Amino acid sequence: MNIYPGLARPCPSWQKKGERVKDPAMRTVLCFGDSNTYGQIPGRGPLDRFGWDQRWPGVMQAELGPGWHIIEEGLSGRTTVRDDPIEGEHKNGRRYLKPCLQSHAPVDLVILMLGTNDLKRRFSQPASEVAMGIGCLVHDTKELMPGRGGHVPEIMIVAPPPMLEDLREWASIFDGAPEKSHRLGLEFEVMADSLEVHFFDAATVCACDPADGFHLGASAHAALGQALAREVQAIGWPAD
Amino acid sequence: MPDMRFAPPNPIRIADRSAGLNAVSVRGHNERLVLSLLLRHGGMSRMALGEKSGLSAQTVSVIVRSMEKEGLIASGEAQKGRVGPPTIPVSLNADGVSAVGISVGFRKTDVVLIDFLGHVTASAELAHETLGYHHVHPQIFATVSGLIRALPKRKQDRIAGIGLALPDGFEDSPELAQLQGQLETLGLEVFVQNDVTSAAAGESMFGAARPLENYLFFYVGAHVHSRLILNHHILRSGVNASYDVGLLELERRLGSNAATSAEFWKTALGPATDAPVQAWIEDCGALIQDKAAQANQFVQVDTVVVSSYLPRPLIEGLCDTLGALKGVVGEVAQAPKAVGAASLAFSSRFLI
Repeated sequence: MNIYPGLARPCPSWQKKGERVKDPAMRTVLCFGDSNTYGQIPGRGPLDRFGWDQRWPGVMQAELGPGWHIIEEGLSGRTTVRDDPIEGEHKNGRRYLKPCLQSHAPVDLVILMLGTNDLKRRFSQPASEVAMGIGCLVHDTKELMPGRGGHVPEIMIVAPPPMLEDLREWASIFDGAPEKSHRLGLEFEVMADSLEVHFFDAATVCACDPADGFHLGASAHAALGQALAREVQAIGWPAD
Repeated sequence: MPDMRFAPPNPIRIADRSAGLNAVSVRGHNERLVLSLLLRHGGMSRMALGEKSGLSAQTVSVIVRSMEKEGLIASGEAQKGRVGPPTIPVSLNADGVSAVGISVGFRKTDVVLIDFLGHVTASAELAHETLGYHHVHPQIFATVSGLIRALPKRKQDRIAGIGLALPDGFEDSPELAQLQGQLETLGLEVFVQNDVTSAAAGESMFGAARPLENYLFFYVGAHVHSRLILNHHILRSGVNASYDVGLLELERRLGSNAATSAEFWKTALGPATDAPVQAWIEDCGALIQDKAAQANQFVQVDTVVVSSYLPRPLIEGLCDTLGALKGVVGEVAQAPKAVGAASLAFSSRFLI
C-alpha cells in the first residue's frame, strides 16, 4: 500500500536514468491553484490528498500524453492577491507567483485556477474584486515573461465551479460566499476577454462535492482534467 | 498617469447572451477576419486561424469562444494528426444565422433563405405575368414573410438581413418604394445591390470563386453579363456590360420560348436541340474569350467563372470552349442572384 499518494507519480518515460537529453518539443504547463489543484479530498483533513493520477493535473497529463510536462502548484487556502491575516501571508498567490514562474521557466502555458479562498468572510470581497485579483496575476505573468525565449507564455484563467449552499463547518468562514461564487465565472470571463487570455469555466464540466461543498471529488477532478486537456490542445501548438 | 493595468476590465467581445443576434450589431475587425477565414477555408484549427490571421493564440481563443457562445462558430471533434497533438477544428455554424435574398429576373423573381454557408434552406419562385426586368411582383413581401414565419422562433431571431438584387436601370417606382417599406417593417436591415454583382458576390463567398483573388465573372441568364474581380473586389464598368448572346438568343434560335426555364432543360437535351445548342455555346464562348482578351490588355486575368442556372454539363461544355482561359463552373446553382443578394447581409455584418 502506498501511504504517500502524492508520490505515486510515475517517472515520465522521457526521463530515463542516465538520459539527459530533453525533448525540445516538450511542452511545460504550470498549474497554479489552491486546494482544488493540490487535490484535497472533500470533507477530510488538510493532508488527505487524491493521488497524482486522480488529481486534475495528473488526469490532464495522462490525456495529453508524453509530450507534455505538467507541474502542479496547488496550495490550500491560496488567494489571488490577498494576505490572509489568519492563515498567513504565504497564502497570497501574488507573493509566490513570480518565484514560482521563474523556478519552472520556460513555461509554455500557465493555468490560473483560484478565487474560492478570496470569497472568505474575512476578505469581504465581491466577485468582481476577485476577478481583479486574477487580472493582477495575469499582468504579473506578462511582465515577467517566463515563456520560451523570454516571451509571454500562454495564460489560461479557469473559473472554479460555484460553491454549494451547505458548507458544513466551513459555513461561517465562507459566510456569503456561495452566492458570490456563482458570479465568478462571468467576472473571470470578462477579465480574460479584456486581457486577451484563454478562459475555461469549470462549472461547465464539474461541480463541488457535497461532503464539504467547495472541494472537487474524484469524478470532478477526472472531468476537469479531461476537459482542460482538450482546451490545452485546442490552443494549437506548432510542432517545433 | 494612471496605471491602466488595473483599470476596470473592458470586455468588448462579451455579448449579452440572453439577446438574439441583434445584440451583436457591430463586430470588430478581428472577429470579421476570423469569420471570413472560416468561410473561405472551411474548418480549421485555432492554430491555423492564428497563422492565417496573424492574431495571437490568446486572441483567437477569446474570439472563438465568444463567437461560439453567440452561435456563429462551432467546434468539431478532435482529430489525431500524424505528428503532434490532436487538433480541434472550428468552423462556421451553418445554422447559427440565416439571410433572405430576393432577385428580380426577366421571367421570374426568386426568393431564397440561406444559411451561414450559403445553402438554400427554403425558396420560392414568383413568375412574372409579363416578361421583363422591371417588375415588382406584388407577392414578394407575402412570400418573404411566409418563409420567415415557417422558421422556428429561435431561428427567426437570427436573420442577418434581407438582400434585394435588382437589374441595371431598375426604375424607381411607387411599387419598389412600397416593397422596401414593407420589408423594413420586418425589423430587418435591407441591402440593395445590382443583381449580377450580387451573383458574383455569392460565388466569391460560397462557391467556386472562394479561393480566387482575380477572375472574370460571367452570368449567363436571359442575357450574358460580366464583372471583373480584382483582389476579391467586384468591379464593374459604367458602360453596358450586358450582351445579347444569352438564353433569349438561344430561345430565338430554337424557336422556343422556354429555354430560360429550368424545367425545359430537364428534357430538352436531345438530337433535335443539339446542333443549335452547340452553336450557341460556341458563340457564347467566343464572347467570353473576346471580353477576357480586352480585360487582359490592362490586367492579367486567366480564370473565368461562369454562373448560370443552366444544367451543369452545358456550362462545362461552355467552359471547354475557352481555349487558354481556365473556365470554372459556378457552384451556386440554385437562384445564384438571390443567393448573392442574401450574402450581402452576411458580408455587411460579419465579414471583411
